[in-house]
Amino acid sequence: MFMRATTRNKFTNSLFTTTFAIAFTLVGLNSVIPCPIDQKNMANDSVSPSEVAAKKQGPVVSAFSDIKDVYSSKEATEIEVKEVKEVFQKQVIADPEDATTKVQETPKRILAEATESLSKKVKTDEELPATQVIEADVTTVETSVETKALTEADVPTSSKALAAGPIPYAALCKVFEKIEDESGRLKITAYCTEFFLEVLQSNPSKLVQITYLFINRLGPDYEPGLELGLGETLLIKAIGENYGRPAAKIKADFHETGDLGIVAEQSRASQPTMFKPKPLDVDTVFKQLTAIARSTGKNSQGAKISIIGKMLTACSGTEARFLIRSLEGKLRIGLAEKTVLNALAASFVQYEAARDAKKQSPRQMEELLAKAEDMIKDAFCQVPNYEIVITNALQYGIFSLSKHCTLKPGVPLKPMLAKPTKSITEVLDRFQGEEFTCEYKYDGERAQVHLLDSGEVKVYSRNSEDMSQRYPDIIDAVKHFLKPDVCTTSLILDCEAVAWDREAQKILPFQVLSTRKRKDVEERDIKVHICLFAFDMLCLNGEPLIMKSLAERRGLMESVLSPVEGKFQYATTMNTSSIEEIQVFLDKSVSSACEGLMVKMLNGSESGYEPSKRSRNWLKLKKDYLAGVGDSLDLVVVGAYIGKGKRTGSYGGFLLATYNPDTSEYETTCKIGTGFSDEDLAALYLKLFPTVISQPKSYYVYDTTNGNAKPDVWFEPTTVFEVLTADLSLSPIYKAGHNVMGRGISLRFPRMLRVRDDKGTEDATSSDQIIEMYERQASLN
Amino acid sequence: MLEGKFDEASLLKKIIDAIKDCVQLCNFNCTEKGITLQAVDDSRVLLVSLLIGEEAFTDYRCDRNITLGVDLSSFSKMIKCGNNEDFLTLIAEDSPDTVLVVFEDKNRERISEYSLKLMDIDNEFLKIDDMDYDSVITMPAGEFAKIVRDLKNLSESLGILVTKDTVKFLSEGDIGSGSVVVKPFTDLEKPENSVKVSLKKPVNLTFGLKYLSDIIKATNLAESVTIKIADKVPALFEYKLPSGYLRFYLAPKFDEEE
Repeated sequence: MFMRATTRNKFTNSLFTTTFAIAFTLVGLNSVIPCPIDQKNMANDSVSPSEVAAKKQGPVVSAFSDIKDVYSSKEATEIEVKEVKEVFQKQVIADPEDATTKVQETPKRILAEATESLSKKVKTDEELPATQVIEADVTTVETSVETKALTEADVPTSSKALAAGPIPYAALCKVFEKIEDESGRLKITAYCTEFFLEVLQSNPSKLVQITYLFINRLGPDYEPGLELGLGETLLIKAIGENYGRPAAKIKADFHETGDLGIVAEQSRASQPTMFKPKPLDVDTVFKQLTAIARSTGKNSQGAKISIIGKMLTACSGTEARFLIRSLEGKLRIGLAEKTVLNALAASFVQYEAARDAKKQSPRQMEELLAKAEDMIKDAFCQVPNYEIVITNALQYGIFSLSKHCTLKPGVPLKPMLAKPTKSITEVLDRFQGEEFTCEYKYDGERAQVHLLDSGEVKVYSRNSEDMSQRYPDIIDAVKHFLKPDVCTTSLILDCEAVAWDREAQKILPFQVLSTRKRKDVEERDIKVHICLFAFDMLCLNGEPLIMKSLAERRGLMESVLSPVEGKFQYATTMNTSSIEEIQVFLDKSVSSACEGLMVKMLNGSESGYEPSKRSRNWLKLKKDYLAGVGDSLDLVVVGAYIGKGKRTGSYGGFLLATYNPDTSEYETTCKIGTGFSDEDLAALYLKLFPTVISQPKSYYVYDTTNGNAKPDVWFEPTTVFEVLTADLSLSPIYKAGHNVMGRGISLRFPRMLRVRDDKGTEDATSSDQIIEMYERQASLN
Repeated sequence: MLEGKFDEASLLKKIIDAIKDCVQLCNFNCTEKGITLQAVDDSRVLLVSLLIGEEAFTDYRCDRNITLGVDLSSFSKMIKCGNNEDFLTLIAEDSPDTVLVVFEDKNRERISEYSLKLMDIDNEFLKIDDMDYDSVITMPAGEFAKIVRDLKNLSESLGILVTKDTVKFLSEGDIGSGSVVVKPFTDLEKPENSVKVSLKKPVNLTFGLKYLSDIIKATNLAESVTIKIADKVPALFEYKLPSGYLRFYLAPKFDEEE
């Protein structure tokens, strides 16, 4: 025996992982075990090589889930391990109800029984000739038995897997692993449901944290400072320090696997620790992740690495993989947030049915489930905060959510979205015989403005992020837009915030808006002014309006607010049903620097506000979706970015360039990553890989000073992509047309259309052409 | 009351320098037999175990067991203030808040005193039993340090392969591979240069070179190092002190293929 802990409970874990434990183990309980002494004597007496081999092999430790360790002796053969297990299982089966409570005392009893039987056995072994004890073979048998025993013991029955108290992080990772290996959505939902149900039945207060860990967030979207998404360099450093490997090696492994989580897991597996620290539980992980997200300032890097380090050291098995991915900000197990919501609904339905001991037919269950899904989705759209939704569901039951979870100022709801259309006729087809209205679609940023009862004003983004810091000018101005003679205590407005040129009294393009500082904006420093274009009101004086028709909501909005030119205006609207008038209105909107039109249902039940839905009751008619407005560009592929995650093994994105016939140079213009299927990427990899060059060609024009402008690999110019774009904009890092414009022109939201095999690289869109297209853009007029 | 006087400050300096990079916060446990320390590095792969026996001191007295929780990086700064040849005395009360470090210059009448604030360090103390190893290698400490330094340039792990009468250190990396073979050898004039290998069973193990680099920081403490290894148990690297030892226990790595 190698070490013995002097304190009782600090050292109950095996030194190494389970497989290691067979050869190298400790005894953690203070209980006196007679066999080690026997064993020592025996080992000393015997000189046979097999005995020598066995000598160093201490008593086998088998960790029974997180309950408590059960020990058997070194000579534990297959039969003996089984014996121990059987004793244990009998114990559990004998009193299934209070197994969890009795567990505390059970191991001791088992231990005593097992030890007794084993020491007897050891004595018998001693008398046997050495040749009959084929130790080496036993070792291997033991290994497999151990593993099997462990997996079985881990989940005695599904509902008993989680005892009250802290939930081990490993349990969560086990579910993650199952989800990762599964592509069917129904199966994934079932795995989540099963786990959530276990949590509900054992420790419901932890469900909120668990849900957040499942969607890899730490709080509601609108709460600032809870993003993870740590940089690769930092994580590589943390993994290196804690698993004793140089950063360069980890980087190399990372390039090979494309997944730092896997690299961490493998690093962990290859370097075992001397002692196992306390296993991670969900509480700790959640708290530490929050601490990491919240740490800022000059020493935050070090602090983050140290917290990550502590957790990494405590990781075993797959925990390291998922922990690192969580820290990266992408769990990548193919789990959609929608699935989590459905699973929550399902687990609540099952939980309530079991709690109230109601017998339901499968069909009834199905109906209930569908109802619960709608309920929770609706609640979440109005109050996108899992904590509030889950707490209310726990308190009042899932079917009462609609009463308790309604929108209120201060909690951003998910904005309603519009479906894209390609032509005005498509719009008319949809709204045949209905009353509808057209609005300008402004090219700015979606802003949900909340006025709270307290008088506080908050601005939230499309993704429910709190943008109040970014728009102090809006915060201060809102009260001036209220009609003084109407008493308005609280409201929620849906608006578009657009950059506004106060001198020329006109809208500025989106790029100007995006130059505004994002944090710590001081009102007096603001150079880019904002005009708010309001188009909907969702809540007034605490009363939700989303069930009312658009016409009613508009009426109410206009009754309490008064526009101020250049600061707060209503979106320009027109009610018509003539195709010609819509065309004229669309052209007018484009020449007023708008993106196009929004067409909305005006009256009736279908004109309600549907939070988070991309509804067919709202259609958008964008200038670049329409035939004839946005020409596609043919661009030359000059470089590529190594694919990560799903795109590991192929290129994940490409660097494109225009051709400048005057100088015979290729000028970079954008990076493209959307519009490719997996097959496309695989084919492109085969096509482009042979053309990789170690250095960029001398006639490639790119920003040499900016690391972001450089792709991972460069290519010979051979291939032309046809690409669509939403817009052209001036860029600080790209170079297309830079000779004429000073800065290069880049594509906004480029999208791959196809490979132009019929075009040579010198027939690609020329730099002059792209300048022309840029100058033609209406937003510049 | 603890009072321990070293004939030369250099011994304690070397000890602290040897371990301060892998462990930071440690408890020094002082008993009538001497001072012991046990600590695990942050990644829990390397365990340091130190015994400074009573005879390593010129004067030593410790009436009652005392624990000194010390931040090694601060402690190291303090003991650097003395000259190598100075007498160094550690003094602490029975339940101390601080430990006093006193340097006495042997040639001049100069006494410098430093007092270090102690910390409450939560540390599990493990009793480490002697165990049987498959192979025991004793070799000059400097030679082992050179092997580790040289092979560290090639890879992140070092293989130690002990077969009948030879020890092979090897590392394989992207740029190539390297190996050093050491055979038993007896130097009658300078016994410290001898290499001894005793083998019960061939061993083939791999260790993280990062940790080995930490271990060889103890090279100055002893002429030779004793390496005890056995399959799948932590290896022991021991540097003998004039009285006592500095031991490192290192968990081996799993083979890459597994």
